[in-house]
Amino acid sequence: MDSITTGVSSKEQPNVTTILKESTILQMDRSATLRANIKRFYIYIVLVLIVLVFSLMKLDQVTFFERGHFLSPDSIINLLRSAVPILTLSGAFTLLMISGYIDLSVGSAMSLAAVVFAWLILNGFSFLPAFVITLILGAILGSLNGYLVMKLRITPVIATLVTLSLFKGIALLIVPDGSSAIKGSAEKVMPAWINDYARKDVLLGLPWAFWVAVLVILLLVIVQRKTLLGKYATAIGGNRIAADLSGINAVRIVGLLYVMVGFFAALAGMARASYMSLGDPLSGDGMELDCIIAVLLGGTAFSGGEGSVAKTVVGALIIICVTIGLMTVIPAYWQTMAKGGVLVAAVTLNHLLVREKAKA
Amino acid sequence: METSQMQKPLLGGKLSDESFITVFMVGVLIVVFGIACIFVPNFYKPQNMLNLITNNWYIIVLGIGITFVMITGNYDMSVGGNIALTGVLSVYFCQGVNVSQNPLANGLGLPYILAIGLALLCAMGVGAVNAFFIAKLKVPSIIVTLGTMMLARGAAQVITQGAQRNTSLPDAFGVLGSLGIPGTSIRLPVLVMIALIILAFIFEKKTVFARRIYLIGANPVAARLSGVNVGGYLTALYIVSGLLAGITGILLASEFEAGVSNRAMGYEFDALVIVLLGGISITGGFGSVLGMFVGAIILSVVTSAATGMLFSPDWQFTLKAIVTFIAILTQRFALDKRKG
Repeated sequence: MDSITTGVSSKEQPNVTTILKESTILQMDRSATLRANIKRFYIYIVLVLIVLVFSLMKLDQVTFFERGHFLSPDSIINLLRSAVPILTLSGAFTLLMISGYIDLSVGSAMSLAAVVFAWLILNGFSFLPAFVITLILGAILGSLNGYLVMKLRITPVIATLVTLSLFKGIALLIVPDGSSAIKGSAEKVMPAWINDYARKDVLLGLPWAFWVAVLVILLLVIVQRKTLLGKYATAIGGNRIAADLSGINAVRIVGLLYVMVGFFAALAGMARASYMSLGDPLSGDGMELDCIIAVLLGGTAFSGGEGSVAKTVVGALIIICVTIGLMTVIPAYWQTMAKGGVLVAAVTLNHLLVREKAKA
Repeated sequence: METSQMQKPLLGGKLSDESFITVFMVGVLIVVFGIACIFVPNFYKPQNMLNLITNNWYIIVLGIGITFVMITGNYDMSVGGNIALTGVLSVYFCQGVNVSQNPLANGLGLPYILAIGLALLCAMGVGAVNAFFIAKLKVPSIIVTLGTMMLARGAAQVITQGAQRNTSLPDAFGVLGSLGIPGTSIRLPVLVMIALIILAFIFEKKTVFARRIYLIGANPVAARLSGVNVGGYLTALYIVSGLLAGITGILLASEFEAGVSNRAMGYEFDALVIVLLGGISITGGFGSVLGMFVGAIILSVVTSAATGMLFSPDWQFTLKAIVTFIAILTQRFALDKRKG
């Protein structure tokens, strides 16, 4: 009997342990999939929640889908138009952060591009030449950053903080003394068509600048998912040494990403200059923080190696909704604190949901 | 035997790399100063030389905290916002209760000493928040401190409704900022700066704590494995950096007898620039307070010489950027040469 019982129990025991093991594995699996699912979908939920909150806030004043409401067509068009600069810029910014690098000078590059674009138009250039020259300027600004970081090996944060000051300084120097921006005056009139790019309705009530931004996003989503550039960026961010050893030319790839960021910063700067019909040397201030928030909300890892351009776009929409939505409900002097709060919340969310690669 | 042999070159006057860079930057300072004296009239006068140091006391005070934070390989960009917040709070806490219809004239009516104490606590609180994210959650310091910078400045803007608070202050409020040695331009804040520099210098050279900061910067993993509580050290440094920003904020608020929400815009960048000019490296474990001090005077000479040569103030951004790049590259070149 004893031997039989022991026999049975010894047969059963491994069974129990396997079941136990399996259940714990299942549980771990479940929590892992739960986490993965939260990670995959939370950003959309956040966006929907924010839109919902802001539309409910206004419900007592106006009825649904009418002029003035957060979800009225007018206000959506307005929202998308103000989102143009960050939509244009944040895609390339994401690719750069996926590769583990950062560019804090994007805001200043935007301002400088806006100032140069406005100056060119004010001084008799027609749209297309001014547009192309400013884009080339943006690429040069980006390549300067790339050169400082990749060739001279200055720490990215420091190099781009210093170029932030440099670009802003140059923009301020272009603006004549005693004036706060490049704008039309009695002697020199700013042509009215400078507005066309960012304000004139071309399709669905939205201007050229918006559709260009959409095109840029589509392009960069494809670049990230389908091209070698995207794969190399991920590889460099995941493990720079391994990437070097497997023959990826990190200097050239990341350099190219910096050029792209500068290029799209110029594009964003022109959209803003066209929207405001003037070149304001401070118009891009804080754009680097908006981009960082969008990228972090989009689940890109701090240290690179993981991320998605498409989700950054959702993150960018969240910021714009929060900015515009808050403007309608609280005084302007709350804006800085709100944005700081969003950044810290994004950092925390990102920490909770994105697994950092093992620290060396 | 062996130790004495190893110490011999040291005793023979061989400088450490840090002292070498400091001496190198002193050389640069002398050259820059010489050039400035040629081009700017009256630049060599003692009063002007004194002003070069006294006009920059706030950046130097901030630089002390930033120096140590950067030696560990981290950034603190929150100091500018922290100055604004502390200044505004020190005003808000001691403004009279219900003295006026204007909400910006009404405060909490606390005694000035208590107001200062609480404001300093808040400043250290900002440092503690930084430390929590950086030491506990291991978030990159640049991102967190940019966030807390906005939070702190944003809080200052909320308290002042985007403007400033400067009415119904107690008489004691303006004393700290205006006390000074009669007949000179040296005021209390400058003396505080000098005292803090001496303290920081002794701290850096003579304490185990400081030497461990260098170890953390040079190799955080080795530091952790050899039993150094890296998180604790980072927390302490960020709180000290917050405290220094708080002291600066209170002195500035007292000097101007106002809590201004836009005070100290860009100070974090200036503090970073003088630290870089002083040869402190963000890759960690390298730098000195003395170097930072020399860097501050170089920046001061360059900017005031530019003003003296009638450059428009718009030049300062470009100038600071160019000077910083030149400094980073020449320091690296000099160090490489030295190593052979």
